[in-house]
Amino acid sequence: MNVLKVSRLTIAAFVLPCLIIYVGIVFVPIIVSMYSGLLDWNGIGESKFIGLENFRNLFFHDPVFWPSVRRTLMFAVFSMAEIPVALLVAILLKRYVRRPNFLVSSYFLPVILSVVVVGQLWKTIYNPASMGGMLNQVLTTIGLESWTHTWLTEPAVAMYSLYFVALWQYLGYHTLIQYTGILNVPEEIYEAARIDGAEGFTADRYITFPNIIPIFKISIVLAFIGSLQSFDMVMVMTGGGPAHATDVISTHMYNMSFLSMKYGYGSSIAAFLVVLCLAATFLINLIFSKLEKRFS
Amino acid sequence: MAKMSKLLSLVMTGTLALSLTACGGGSKTDEGSTSSNASGTSSNTTETVKEKNVTITFQNIYPDPTDPKNKLMNKLVKQYETDHPNIKIELDSLNTDQQKLKLKTQAASKEVPDITVVNPAAQMQPFVDAKLLAPLNDMLDQNGLKDTFQDGLLDWYSFDGNTYALPDGNNIGVVYYNKELFDKAGVKVPTTFEEMLDVVKTLKSQKIQPMAIGEKDSWTGSFLFMNMLLRTNNGPGFLKDVVDKKKTFDDPAFKEAVDAFENLVQAGAFQDGATSFDYNAGENLFKTGKAAMYYMGTWATGGIETSSVNGKVGVFKFPTINGKGNPDEFMLAPGSAFAISADSKHLDETKAFLNWFMINFPKEAFEAKGAVGIGQKVDGDFKAAGYSDMAMDVLGLFKDVKGGDLAFDNTMNPGTAQVHLTSIQNLFAQKKDATEVAKEHQAAFEANNK
Amino acid sequence: MNTSSVVQLNQQTATARRRRFSVAKTIVILFLSLLVVTQVYPLLWLVLYSLKTNEEILSGSFFALPHSFQWSNYSAALEGNYVRYLLNSLFVTSVTMAAVILLSSLCAFAISRFRWKYGQVVMLLFLVGMMIPMQATLLPLMIIFKNIHVLNTHLSLILPYVAFAMPIAVFILSGFMRSIPHEIEESAVMDGANVGRIFWSIILPVSVPPVMTVCILTFINIWNEYILAATFISSEKLKTLPFGVNSFVSQYSVNYGAIGAYLVLGALPVIIIYFLLADKITQGMVAGAVKG
Repeated sequence: MNVLKVSRLTIAAFVLPCLIIYVGIVFVPIIVSMYSGLLDWNGIGESKFIGLENFRNLFFHDPVFWPSVRRTLMFAVFSMAEIPVALLVAILLKRYVRRPNFLVSSYFLPVILSVVVVGQLWKTIYNPASMGGMLNQVLTTIGLESWTHTWLTEPAVAMYSLYFVALWQYLGYHTLIQYTGILNVPEEIYEAARIDGAEGFTADRYITFPNIIPIFKISIVLAFIGSLQSFDMVMVMTGGGPAHATDVISTHMYNMSFLSMKYGYGSSIAAFLVVLCLAATFLINLIFSKLEKRFS
Repeated sequence: MAKMSKLLSLVMTGTLALSLTACGGGSKTDEGSTSSNASGTSSNTTETVKEKNVTITFQNIYPDPTDPKNKLMNKLVKQYETDHPNIKIELDSLNTDQQKLKLKTQAASKEVPDITVVNPAAQMQPFVDAKLLAPLNDMLDQNGLKDTFQDGLLDWYSFDGNTYALPDGNNIGVVYYNKELFDKAGVKVPTTFEEMLDVVKTLKSQKIQPMAIGEKDSWTGSFLFMNMLLRTNNGPGFLKDVVDKKKTFDDPAFKEAVDAFENLVQAGAFQDGATSFDYNAGENLFKTGKAAMYYMGTWATGGIETSSVNGKVGVFKFPTINGKGNPDEFMLAPGSAFAISADSKHLDETKAFLNWFMINFPKEAFEAKGAVGIGQKVDGDFKAAGYSDMAMDVLGLFKDVKGGDLAFDNTMNPGTAQVHLTSIQNLFAQKKDATEVAKEHQAAFEANNK
Repeated sequence: MNTSSVVQLNQQTATARRRRFSVAKTIVILFLSLLVVTQVYPLLWLVLYSLKTNEEILSGSFFALPHSFQWSNYSAALEGNYVRYLLNSLFVTSVTMAAVILLSSLCAFAISRFRWKYGQVVMLLFLVGMMIPMQATLLPLMIIFKNIHVLNTHLSLILPYVAFAMPIAVFILSGFMRSIPHEIEESAVMDGANVGRIFWSIILPVSVPPVMTVCILTFINIWNEYILAATFISSEKLKTLPFGVNSFVSQYSVNYGAIGAYLVLGALPVIIIYFLLADKITQGMVAGAVKG
């Protein structure tokens, strides 16, 4: 229970500056976008109100839409699945390395680099062997020639190639977050546990994990946000191609709004995205409030 | 508290803006037409505003400081500023994709910069329809600017008798080939498409990459495909016939072109992973001598000249397919073009500047060895000025041009064009029945032309 | 058995375990080092890339060193207004970060510690916007900014950067602040401290770890941001670093070496700052944890 009883004016002074900027710059445009989703509008000329027509087309007649939703959700699933790995790396760092700061910082490097760099690098790695692609060259050298692919252009594998790049890039990000989470667990608890004979992974099971659930939640949320906003990387590496095989919700929205010049339709995708975000936020909150209850 | 009321007013305007958008679509039309009236009476007001300090925003697509066009633009702008101390020209240099996105966003809020860049025909139509661009007829008549353009070129930028934009280029689609690699494989320049397929197969068997393409930018494949359609249709105008409902995409000519295109892909003409190569990466395969042929607009000439294959490159016209078509009909690529905002606060100054800029453009481009494929007539001896043999060959092809077609996205509306681009890109990833491709096109056309 | 012997026994088993684990330790260290290689390699690759000719880059040989170092790539990159763009980026980024931290910690404090009815409602409002991509709001933002006359100023970047960083910042900070024991402010109230004082001298200093997290998140989201910047900024003198990279991507030519050089120059200040601060950041986090 919150204890501070304060005047309305104080509340306003604390909350309003933040809230006003947020509502004006994020909330209002979202509402506008949702409204635009009801229009037949190319973004430039005159617009016509067509009710839910865009949504009808989106849900029932757009062959690109549902696959792009599926890819976005898969993106999220892979990104979240990476977090336990990052947690493991963080635990290993804490336990086995005396001065881990340098390592943590190194892992974090790919996150700082711009998507242009990361995209260009991985395109070079994924290239066909004849174009100097490292991955295929390595596979050929170790006798796995049948495993070689043109990684970014075969519809069946292209999306997985993209997932992998994202996993690689954000490993250090989640490791850093988990690592600081572990550092925040007071050392005395571990010492007490050691006296009780709990060490190593047993200690992690009963101490580290319950203590970093809030941090874990932050990581999950960030992973989800990252996968919904995977726009840049997809654009740099495949542009959504070949033939929409790597389109995600955000690239589809962009293509519709600005390339096909169906801004109204693009906005209906944006509205869907907002609803999806809401659902995800509530789901994550629900799961974690249950988790927190169980462990406390 | 002062800060807070400021923030509050911020939100108020935000909400205001919201209500403005809601009715923005309809009401803005009047504003556009009043400002185009203003441009008609402009000559009277020129005197009074002359000495005012004016800043002209010049949005352009020459951001690369190592690009000759960037240097040329900077030079002309600087000179103009020196001659007109009261005028300042603010360059907003963006790459092509970003400029397109920015202009569309600006257009939605009627914030088009004084000078911007648009693409011909169907691509600029929405901007013209929304009355965002100022007619340039009066300005074209000043200092004889109109006559510097190649005959008929301005038609692609004119609607209802008004010209709205001035192109910086006019190119055609040709096949560049690497003579050294052709000799090595013992093949000759093909005169029919069937020969071309043989050339591809021979090159392939000798482990030489036959053709390069940058299909991540899907217009590249479409550009080539459209040239094939220009042949199988036995002449230009297929898309126009579709628009006029005289033909459908189910036409045999269209399906024949799809089949021919798929034959080329299946013969292994293009590099592995073509759809992940962007325009530049594709072109660079050719420029580094890794690929024997490259189909592209003649704007690529300058880049090839400064690459390592310079001197080994020739050009040929895209051949006939099944005996159909005339090689002297080309894919025509009227370039991106400068337009002026109808709402410009300094309409007269902007027009005067652009007039001067375009009049000086050909001469400067010629001197910078960038005059192959510009949209204006050039006086001068290219050979004597040191243009390469390949450039001379390309200029020779220009003389043979007997008409042709525009690119797909310059003919059809953006919605249909996007489906087309995807559909052609898909042919690189998987084989598809021509009837199905035709169906895809027809469905998209009908859905986008209700 | 007395306590000291228990401790002794435990120490003995611990040493035994440590020996047994030395193989495991070697493997772990190897694994962690391998990770360093895969994560740091791109930077080396980029530096090599920035010293090659266009031909060398596109021939794509992965491990090859450049034939001769193309320092001219760097002079080409510096031609493109690097210093001005860098200063602009630093300005926009630091103002944004300061604003995000101040405003969202105020708000998070109110949500997590004040006794008022609408705390959860406000939180909910922030949760709604937490996952919205900035690109989705490009067009409405343009219209709003036109009407409040901030287009083509740094404010047109700072406002959306701040606003879009807020939900996650409030989310993280309020989560942390909720976990701070209530006794702290109860005693402060008894000592007669007002709310502002409690916030400034008690809550904020304790909140260093989440604030650092928020800093990092905000930073990486905006340092390379290009779409909003390109749309809202037109004047050369206001442009930020990502413009530099993209200025080398022109319509029909790409100067890859110069792009590489520019990317190195763009990443360098960040990497330097990050490595200088990395120790401080983790220390700050640990310090915060002990206090909390």
